This record gives sequence, C-alpha cells and structure tokens, in this order.
Amino acid sequence: MIVTQLNLLATGVLQAESVPNDGVGSTSLNPYFAPLKEVVIGGLATLIVFALLWKFAWPAIAKGMSDRTARIQKDLDESAAARKQAETDAAQIRTSLGDVDGERTRLFAEAEAQAAALLEDGRTRLSQEVAEMEAKAEADIAAAAGRGADDLRADIARFSSQAIESSVTSSLDDATQQELIEGFIARVGAGKVVTS
Amino acid sequence: MSDAQIQGYARALFEIARADGTLDEVEDELFRFARSYEGSEQLRNTLSDDQIPAEKRQAIIEDLLDGKATRTTTQLVSMVVGSGKARDLPAIVDLLVQRASSAKQLDTAEVRTAVALTADQADRLKAALENATGKRLNLKTIVDPSVVGGVVATVGDDVIDDSVRTRIDQLKARL
Repeated sequence: MIVTQLNLLATGVLQAESVPNDGVGSTSLNPYFAPLKEVVIGGLATLIVFALLWKFAWPAIAKGMSDRTARIQKDLDESAAARKQAETDAAQIRTSLGDVDGERTRLFAEAEAQAAALLEDGRTRLSQEVAEMEAKAEADIAAAAGRGADDLRADIARFSSQAIESSVTSSLDDATQQELIEGFIARVGAGKVVTS
Repeated sequence: MSDAQIQGYARALFEIARADGTLDEVEDELFRFARSYEGSEQLRNTLSDDQIPAEKRQAIIEDLLDGKATRTTTQLVSMVVGSGKARDLPAIVDLLVQRASSAKQLDTAEVRTAVALTADQADRLKAALENATGKRLNLKTIVDPSVVGGVVATVGDDVIDDSVRTRIDQLKARL
C-alpha cells in the first residue's frame, strides 16, 4: 500500500515537470525511454522505498519468516518426534506382542505343569486314601472277626462250664461222694496231697 | 463288737461248757451251729434283727436246736442271741474252739464235705491229717453243699483242697 502511494506521488512530480499538462493526461515525449529526470526521481523514490522497506518492513518480514521457519522446523521436529514416538510405540507394541506370546506360552506351560502336578498329587492322595481305607477295612474285618471269635470262645466256655458243672453234679451220687472222700483220706494218709 | 468283747464271750462259753463237763460236745455243736448260721442268710437276718424281740429270737433258737443239741449248747446260743450279739456268734465260737483245742493241746482242723462224714471216716481222716501235718488235731466237720464233692481240709494256715468245686473252677478258668 505504502509503495503504491509513493510511486503515484513520484509519477505526479515528474509529469508536472517534463510534460505539459494538456488537460487530457500524461504524455511522454520519447516513446521508448522515460525522461531522465523521471528515471532519477523514480530510482531515488524506489531506493527510498526499498530503504524504508529494508528499515521498517524487513525485520518484521524476516522475523515472520524466521518464526515461520521455526514453526515449520518445530512442526518438522514434532513430526519427527511423533514418528519416532510412533516407531517406539510400534516397537514396544511389537515387543509387547512378542512378550504376550511368550507370556501366553509360559502361562500355558505353567498351567499344564500345575495341572499335571495336581493330577499327580490327586492320584497319589487318592492312592493313599484307597490304601488307608483298605487297611482300615482289613483291620475292621480282623477286629470284627476277633470279636466274633472272642464272643464265640466266651460262649463256648460259658456253655461248656455249665455243661460240665451240670454233668458233674448230676453224676455225683452217694457212692461217688463216698469214693471221693475215701480217696482223699487215702491220699492224705499216704502223704500224697499238696497244701496251699 | 470289739475283739476283747468277743474274747470275753468265748472265754465265758468255754468256762461254762467245761464246768458243765460237756466241753467236747458243746464245742462241736456250737461249731456246727456257727457254720449253719454263716451259711443261712435267712437265719442271720432273723437272729440279728433288733426289731424282733429277744424273747422271740431265743424261742427260735430253742425251737431249732430242741432235740438236736445239748441243753447247754441251746442255752449258750440263746444267751448270745438274746444279748444282741448274734452277728458275732461265728467269731465267738471260733475262739471258743481254739481255746478248747489249746486246752487239750490240739490244733483245729476244719473239714468241709458235700455230704456228712461217718464217724469212721472222721476218725480215719483225723488220723490221716495228723499223720500228714504232724499235729494232734481237733477235727471239726462241716457239711457244705458248695463243695459239690470231695473234701476241703484246713489246718491252721494250710489248706488241702480236693473238692470237685475247685476242679470245676479250675476247668472253667482254663476254658
């Protein structure tokens, strides 16, 4: 905007000095070259414009460009970082996937080992319980048999005792009693008795 | 009753029987009655029952021994029972027998049989026991059905047991 205004001002000055104002418009005398005065003034004006631009606009432009460069660089850096991060994440994911596979394999192996151990332990415990139950059953059978035998012996002894006493008592008639007494007297007389 | 009282009663009975001149007979009758008393729960309960008047218990004694024992024996037993000492009658009689045996310088031999011994058997058994023990004995025979058969003779601390009861018991123990 400022440059355009300065050019229009310089053009107006030159036109007023080199070409008469006929009321129709600006007219150059040479169709190929501008008047020298106009070139000089135009050049100076241009220089001034460029100087002003260099003095006042360039720092802002340079700053803007620098900022843009920095921003672009920042974006590039961020992109690179993001890519690096993405690659790292991808690597971690791949590693994790690998770890997951390994962990899964390990867990499966551990589970199988535990299952095998449990199965073996169960078999062992079951075998022990079966053995204990068999031993207990055998002991119970033996005890029951023993009790039965003891009861039978006791019954036999009791019935035998009763039978013996009944038989002996019934067979002890008077003659037998006298025989026992005479036998005792004879043995005592012969010194064939034992005292207690 | 204390031992001193039992000994006092035994000495009194002994002196009465000796003074009466029937010591051997009374001693023997008292011994038999004491064994019968020991063996009969009904007799023990009746004669030792303080609720029964003494006169009635003495009447029971006289009724039991009438014609079966000398008058002295009947009176002595009646005296002991009437004085309320029936529970101690066996101990009193045993001491009396010991005293009588000692007076005759004899040891007491107690013979239990299931059936009664004849006089001849008693004499021969006494002789056999004296021969076996080397002691002069005062033989006391007791009919004890629990013996079942055979003889159990006790001389002092020595026991000669040839009874059927003991053999049955031994057989039962082995069974």
